[in-house]
Amino acid sequence: MSSRAPSPHPDHVDKVTGRTEYITDVEVPGMVHGKILRSPHPHAVIKGIDASAALEMPGVIAVLTGADVAALNNHWGLYLKDRPVIAIDRVRYVGEPVAMVAAADERIAEEALEAISVDYEPLPFVTDATEAIEASAPLVHETHDTVKDFYFKGEAKPVAGTNIFQRYNYEHGDVEKAFAQADRCFEAKYEFPMIFHYAMEPHCVIASFQSDGLTLWSCGQSPTAIQKVLSRVFGMPLARIRIISPNVGGGFGGKASVKIDPLVAALAWKARRPVRVCLSVSESMLTARRLSASIRVKTGVRNDGTILAKSVSVLMNGGAYADTGPAVAVKAANRAIGPYRIPNLKLESMAAYTNTVPGAAFRSIGGPQAVWASESQMDEIAEALRLDPLEIRNRNLLRRGEHVRPDLRPIDVEMGEAMDIATREMTQLRASDSGSKTHRGTALGISDPGIMAVSSVLLRLKIDGSVAVVSNSVEIGQGVREVLRRLTAEQLKQPVDVVEVLTPDTAIAPFDWGTGASRSSLMMGLAIADAAADIRRQIADIAAIVLEVDPQSVELCEGGIAIGNRKKTFGELLHAYFGIDSGELVSIGRVSPYSNAGKLAQAPLFWETAAGQCAVAVDEDTGEISVRHYVSVADVGRVVNRAAAEGQDEGATVMGLGHTLSEELVYQDGQPINATMIDYHVPTIDEVPENFVTVLIESGTGPGLGGMRGMGEGAILPVAPAVANALAAGYGARIRELPLTPERVWRAIRDRKER
Amino acid sequence: MFLVPFTHHRPASLDEVFETLGRHGDDAAVYAGGTELLLALKARVLRYEHLIDLKQVKELSGIRVEGKELVIGALATHHQIANSDVVKAHVPAYAALSEEVANIRVRAAGTLAGNLAFAEPHSDPPSLLSAMDATLVLVSPGGKRAVPMRAFILSEFTTAREENELIAEIRIPVTAAGEGFAYRKFGHLERPAVGASAGCIMREGKPSYRLWFGAIGDHPLQATEIEDAIAGVPATSLPDVLPRAARDCAAGISTASDLHGSADYKQHLASVLIQRALAAACEAAQNKGGANA
Ligand SMILES: Cc1cc2nc3c(=O)[nH]c(=O)nc-3n(C[C@H](O)[C@H](O)[C@H](O)COP(=O)(O)OP(=O)(O)OC[C@H]3O[C@@H](n4cnc5c(N)ncnc54)[C@H](O)[C@@H]3O)c2cc1C
Repeated sequence: MSSRAPSPHPDHVDKVTGRTEYITDVEVPGMVHGKILRSPHPHAVIKGIDASAALEMPGVIAVLTGADVAALNNHWGLYLKDRPVIAIDRVRYVGEPVAMVAAADERIAEEALEAISVDYEPLPFVTDATEAIEASAPLVHETHDTVKDFYFKGEAKPVAGTNIFQRYNYEHGDVEKAFAQADRCFEAKYEFPMIFHYAMEPHCVIASFQSDGLTLWSCGQSPTAIQKVLSRVFGMPLARIRIISPNVGGGFGGKASVKIDPLVAALAWKARRPVRVCLSVSESMLTARRLSASIRVKTGVRNDGTILAKSVSVLMNGGAYADTGPAVAVKAANRAIGPYRIPNLKLESMAAYTNTVPGAAFRSIGGPQAVWASESQMDEIAEALRLDPLEIRNRNLLRRGEHVRPDLRPIDVEMGEAMDIATREMTQLRASDSGSKTHRGTALGISDPGIMAVSSVLLRLKIDGSVAVVSNSVEIGQGVREVLRRLTAEQLKQPVDVVEVLTPDTAIAPFDWGTGASRSSLMMGLAIADAAADIRRQIADIAAIVLEVDPQSVELCEGGIAIGNRKKTFGELLHAYFGIDSGELVSIGRVSPYSNAGKLAQAPLFWETAAGQCAVAVDEDTGEISVRHYVSVADVGRVVNRAAAEGQDEGATVMGLGHTLSEELVYQDGQPINATMIDYHVPTIDEVPENFVTVLIESGTGPGLGGMRGMGEGAILPVAPAVANALAAGYGARIRELPLTPERVWRAIRDRKER
Repeated sequence: MFLVPFTHHRPASLDEVFETLGRHGDDAAVYAGGTELLLALKARVLRYEHLIDLKQVKELSGIRVEGKELVIGALATHHQIANSDVVKAHVPAYAALSEEVANIRVRAAGTLAGNLAFAEPHSDPPSLLSAMDATLVLVSPGGKRAVPMRAFILSEFTTAREENELIAEIRIPVTAAGEGFAYRKFGHLERPAVGASAGCIMREGKPSYRLWFGAIGDHPLQATEIEDAIAGVPATSLPDVLPRAARDCAAGISTASDLHGSADYKQHLASVLIQRALAAACEAAQNKGGANA
């Protein structure tokens, strides 16, 4: 199968000409503007807040502080109810919201912030995860209040009296025995830094309490999670809370689950006015980030490279509030396994609170951290055993249908095929660039998307043959609306241009678990198929009534139905049925773990994978790496929109180049010292490889429509280890700490030469 | 953050500028592109009640050659300098530097004069302008004075400019036949971690060299140790003496570890870059060796 329509994103012209409406463009009558006063301390008691001067300023409408939220159910969280709506008596990281002003405009609000004085008593703090789990570490939270199956399945396992908010263990076989029997064991620790999501649109929310409840225009990726948390915080029924999701300017997990929504809603509640809060990029940097990780990997092998046993120990820095960190910690352990046969496997993972920006989901949660460690080590083993990196991988690769872990779905792709394609493409690229001296690096990544199979959609077939798709899948730049449009057209056998995908609005769109984890095209696609089947049934029944035909003989065709050679437009059919030339048919499509005969219940729903190969050149004197060529290969099952799918693949890779080469949020004395876009370098077009090849394999073996699986995250997995492996292969410099800054590279090459 | 409200002035002449400055004293600041000043105002690091936009002041505009000097008016942006045929023809190394300053948005609005007046250490122009022996012309109600680039920047954000003085123009000696200059920089963040500038001046077959470091210290640093070590050494023999001299000299630079890199790494970069810059400068001098180049 291949893509059909030429226009990959019909909305691109609107975007580049500035016409696309984002939340920042939304005007709500009576709307005022909010600004946030943030903690300058990593950890402190709030002894008092004096906002009287701010309140006297003309144009200031309200000030919100911790004292105001006493009347609310003021702590929330999706795994642990650890986060106050706004700091109450204590701050736990630099940047934590302490007070908020609502004012006639943003300028006044900002001026008013400067008139608020906060009396802090600093407390001992900890920003490093290793220190945070020591017995002497200051506690970021004294108690742990977990919630079970609240929005994510299961429950976090914190350790009482410590900063550990999640622990995870898994084992099969006997790892210690296998290590003892192995010819060689390799053990090392790999470091992955804190990374900022950098969506081009910072967090932005408008909240408004009206007589019919609370409405939010939110940049969130999970509207129904926001709805649920707000319902708890304000003690309001879900039916009175409405989340509208206009175009979102990127999220990458930084807007997943719930972020600033309760805070903005609380200010609107206090001000009794609709309030708009749009953060700056620097403020978004203080809102969420990827969990940094230290990952110790030990692998026991035979001299021929066969893996006998592997143990992985992950320690993640979760920041001041757990957020989705408990899920990230589990995934980091699983994603370190790799696409290999590992007869004896032991995984342990821990996530700890620290006095830093809260860690959160980020494109392939825990995946890049895990794959960084395990795929770096694969090459180290190959080198020590004098094996080709491709050969050692081939020797251990799982074939389709084999188990990564006996309790998980068997792997559903051929990783060997992906790796071979990557090798073939890279060999061609390098041959065409014989003038430059480059070195090749390879890495493979597999991940088990944490997808809840809970989605629903409404299809509304209008009498004129047009179709409205009403869902909560958020258009976040990934092109989901176009995919849903094409899938709806396909399922109803209608041309694409009669289908309209509406702006998500929980007031009319049915429940969906959220936009993330590479799930929306797949899950919403299945829901659409279910809804389309219902529409077909309704049409057939109506045809049976008004045309007196056998419902079995009714087929959908462009613009209407066909019974053998006889055709009727939807308009003709429905006119006859309703008696007027107006009306519509509505259907709902649902997906649950029981759908598709229970096949969606087994975890993971599919394996999201990627084979990456790069060719790099290094300036040995400065240590600067230039990634000249990159090949990314993945079996995505089926491609619905080729240009958009390739864009996701390229985007994930280039995003991966960020944590590979330059990105790292740096803390010093409790302060984030580079939390601005001047001191924190995100890849630009200059870092994009000169040649970039994406190969999407369409094996048709995924669980979605036409055999699709999810995509959009996998390609980020192999980038860092592939580059580090190329560096080691070409220059003998093995670096186990990201990012591979020029200084680290230079030092490693120099140390190697001096040895 | 937002700019705190201010009164905006748009004078058309220097006299008017000074008149406005005189009226508001410390409460006023001039600006050209605003790329530095507005950021500092938004971050509330600086605060002014009056901002004076210089962009209409005719006396400060233009790029031209006067005698043996290229004259760059205070309003010339990096982008204009990089793309000026006059600059490319007469001081090609400086045009090349300008093309690599910051990013296109900053180059399109930001001026060379603004860069120099602000004196942020992580900048490109100062070391090369020092190697080229450029001069700044400062103007005040009392008249004009010339300050050598080498003496202009005193330390971080501090220059020899008096409060009532403006930079009117930057005068760079035209690169003559037998002369070559080059600039090399490196950094992995927005601004350079280290810059190095070199000049190679051939007079009657004898070379002399000018070497300056930028960004690594709080003002441009003359690499006199290297200059002394390689004085009179022909370009072809430089590889025998230069690496060691560069290394020794760079190791003596006083610099602190920061986000741009550890001190020893930056010293190493300084050594690498000064060698690269000098090689390029010698090549340029050779190419400009013709009698009437
Ligand atoms: C994102 C970013 C990246 C950058 N990267 C680099 C880089 O890689 N390399 C580099 O060298 N520079 C870099 N810069 C600095 C850039 O070169 C300067 O911002 C720019 O040249 C300043 O010029 P301006 O006209 O905008 O100055 P303004 O902001 O208008 O003024 C700056 C200062 O100079 C004063 N001033 C302006 N004109 C005069 C005058 N005629 N006489 C006296 N005082 C005056 C102002 O009062 C103010 O204090 C970067 C800047 C930014 C924002």
